[in-house]
Amino acid sequence: MTSTIESQPQSDQQTRHVRVAVIGSGFAGLGMAIRLRAQGVEDLVVLERGDDVGGTWRDNTYPGAACDVQSNLYSFSFAPNPEWPRTYSEQPEILAYLQDVARRFDVLRHHVFGAEVTEARWDAAAARWQVRTSAGDFSAQVLISAAGALADPSYPDIPGIEDFAGTVMHSARWDADHDLTGERVAVVGTGASAIQVVPSIQPVAGSVTVYQRTPPWVIPRGDRPTTAFERALYRRVPLVQKAVRGVLYAAREFLAVGITKDPRFLAPVQKLARTHLERQVRDPQLRATLTPDYTIGCKRILISNDWYPAVTAPNAEVVNAGIAEIRPHSVVTRDGVERPTDTLVLATGFHVTDLPIAHRITGRGGRTLAEVWADGMTTNRGSTVAGFPNLFLLVGPNVGVGHTSMVYMIESQIGYVSKAVQAMDDEGLATLETTQAAQDDYRALVAERSAGTVWLEGGCGSWYLDEHGHNTTLWPDFTFRFRRLTRTLDRQNYVGTTADAREQVPA
Amino acid sequence: MTATTVQRTVHAVGTTDGARLHATVSGSPQAPVTLVLAHGWTLSQASWDDVAAELAPDLAEGSVRLVRYDQRGHGRSTWGEVADDDVEIDLLGEDLATVLAALVPTGPVVLGGHSMGGMTIMALAAAHPDLIGERVRGVALVDTSAGRLATPPRTAAERLQQRLLPRVSSWAVAHSRRVDGWRRRVPPTAPRHQALVRGLLYGSAATDAMVLRGAEIMSASSVRSFAAFYPALGRHDKAQALAALRAVPAEVLVGETDKLTPVRHAERLAAALPDAHLQVVPDCGHMLPQERPDLVAAAIRRLLEPW
Repeated sequence: MTSTIESQPQSDQQTRHVRVAVIGSGFAGLGMAIRLRAQGVEDLVVLERGDDVGGTWRDNTYPGAACDVQSNLYSFSFAPNPEWPRTYSEQPEILAYLQDVARRFDVLRHHVFGAEVTEARWDAAAARWQVRTSAGDFSAQVLISAAGALADPSYPDIPGIEDFAGTVMHSARWDADHDLTGERVAVVGTGASAIQVVPSIQPVAGSVTVYQRTPPWVIPRGDRPTTAFERALYRRVPLVQKAVRGVLYAAREFLAVGITKDPRFLAPVQKLARTHLERQVRDPQLRATLTPDYTIGCKRILISNDWYPAVTAPNAEVVNAGIAEIRPHSVVTRDGVERPTDTLVLATGFHVTDLPIAHRITGRGGRTLAEVWADGMTTNRGSTVAGFPNLFLLVGPNVGVGHTSMVYMIESQIGYVSKAVQAMDDEGLATLETTQAAQDDYRALVAERSAGTVWLEGGCGSWYLDEHGHNTTLWPDFTFRFRRLTRTLDRQNYVGTTADAREQVPA
Repeated sequence: MTATTVQRTVHAVGTTDGARLHATVSGSPQAPVTLVLAHGWTLSQASWDDVAAELAPDLAEGSVRLVRYDQRGHGRSTWGEVADDDVEIDLLGEDLATVLAALVPTGPVVLGGHSMGGMTIMALAAAHPDLIGERVRGVALVDTSAGRLATPPRTAAERLQQRLLPRVSSWAVAHSRRVDGWRRRVPPTAPRHQALVRGLLYGSAATDAMVLRGAEIMSASSVRSFAAFYPALGRHDKAQALAALRAVPAEVLVGETDKLTPVRHAERLAAALPDAHLQVVPDCGHMLPQERPDLVAAAIRRLLEPW
């Protein structure tokens, strides 16, 4: 079968015309492409800047990279995998799963790899998105950004870092060819990536110095290899795996009570974390350094059994003095201590509240998404933005979750967007755009639900909050409430126009 | 920009039997002399923090490099393959030799030892007399002893106690998780805990902050380090080996009310080392590095002076 992309009539040599263009091929982009195909949208292209599917799970290849959510839950509902080797899978298994799903659901032929979107501009006259990529230009009626939030590494602005003579690696851009054996390694950050990478490199490195700003709360990781019996059972009776998934979902949703409703319900979890710390760290000074001063859940709760043992190892050190500057061969902290360093590992996270893709998408009136969002990211249902017709966002603002599977939220959004695309088909619409009023209402809803959450009340700063201190990243309620909100298209919140530009009001 | 900085590195020094000793090196690698400090029983290198703070100006100006390390089974250092019954102070002497070979392979060295750390230095001198004078150019022996720490049991109760102790020890090590649970119930912040620590280890001049700090460091020690080294301390006898230390200047310090290594032990050391400078510090107990870090640092500075 030939590609539907190539069979399209082309207005000129460069530009390919498609019905739908999806940016990104992680969980969101893949799931979206699969859903669109299932509802008959074949005229579809997935623009992927990398050379493979997988998104975050393709890029984060640092040793020890793994998911903090059980694989039975952290997977597509429509593609259960009875073969997960562990309770919590590691990056290679998750990537292999996504590659397999892409193959099985036959969406690879819609992919254009090496296509980094440099600009997407709304062309009002043509009622299409004109998309420039590093692999050519595209024109699409519908643009779906599944670029993700944990996509673009954030580099710390430390004086002298550009003059460092040794190797500098971001955890999300790991160089597997660089041998750390015997090296003096500095790890900047103590977030989710750091607590996975440090235990993996500590045994081989000469020394590991962890530069900490704020300690995380860490709870035990109940991880084990799955048994052959479990796998056979899941294969033969898929309903069992479904039930396990349901139980995991429900159990994690209980955490949402404490996180989003009343932090007092988090007290037992904090107790668990504190005991975990006291069991694994005997040194009172180090224990004090590693004890957070904010309510658990305010920042992402991390799970690990080997983080504390790694930082209490004979060749490890946790430093919370703050980095003053980096010299060609050392890191200097504010207390005047200079530590000779061979390799700098930046586990400093991602651009989450300032999504780079937002600078590249220009809507009606020539304003970029970033400009429109200058005062905070606002949307209707995390998916659409007034002034940006036919644009849909996956893993956009206020869709993130800290306590459960992101895939659940992604699937909610995929359902929502697919219904919008279906509505455009059914009504013969050329454009579909949400209203400012709907967006304001939604912002009010998110703000109201965010009030009283541990992210705002827990006494910490985090990447969950934007520069104004507003929650613009996380969904502040039970995830099933988000699913309910996105189950059907709120058509009343949208204005549609047909090709002859007559406004279509919902019947 | 930071004006003056002090270099610092951490190391895991491997021993031949697979133990990994956690060491911290501060100061310039070009410093003319290196000071190596060995801590006491159930303590860790943190017990030298106050002395190190006193010496901070010397480190900053590059006149000395400082090596602190956790003795085997203490702090962050691991145990290696050694069985509890084979734990001897001599092993700690070998560990010190290993630390020297790994971190101070050349240049003059001054050694400081507190309590069991002092015995470690004596064990090193006994096994490697060639190092003394040649590499080791001075020793500070703080609240320590050359032997005869265990007194023979006099009463029936003491005899019974002595007979039962090994069994109690091995039970405690085997059930260390449970014992640690009990220990957590009376944390260092508890008045009872502090009263005990003060009574046993500190002199009348010690502040509550000193006591708390010491109690915290000891609370981090493992049941096994307590149980395995206790008999080794009783067997420690290096009165003969002190001869090797005569080749170098020595500073001997002891708290006047030291209950674990009373003044007579320091006097015996000073008697065996004719050139030693003995200080008996009034109102102090067994924790001079915390009780009087200024005096300990001053004694060390006298040893460092030639460089």
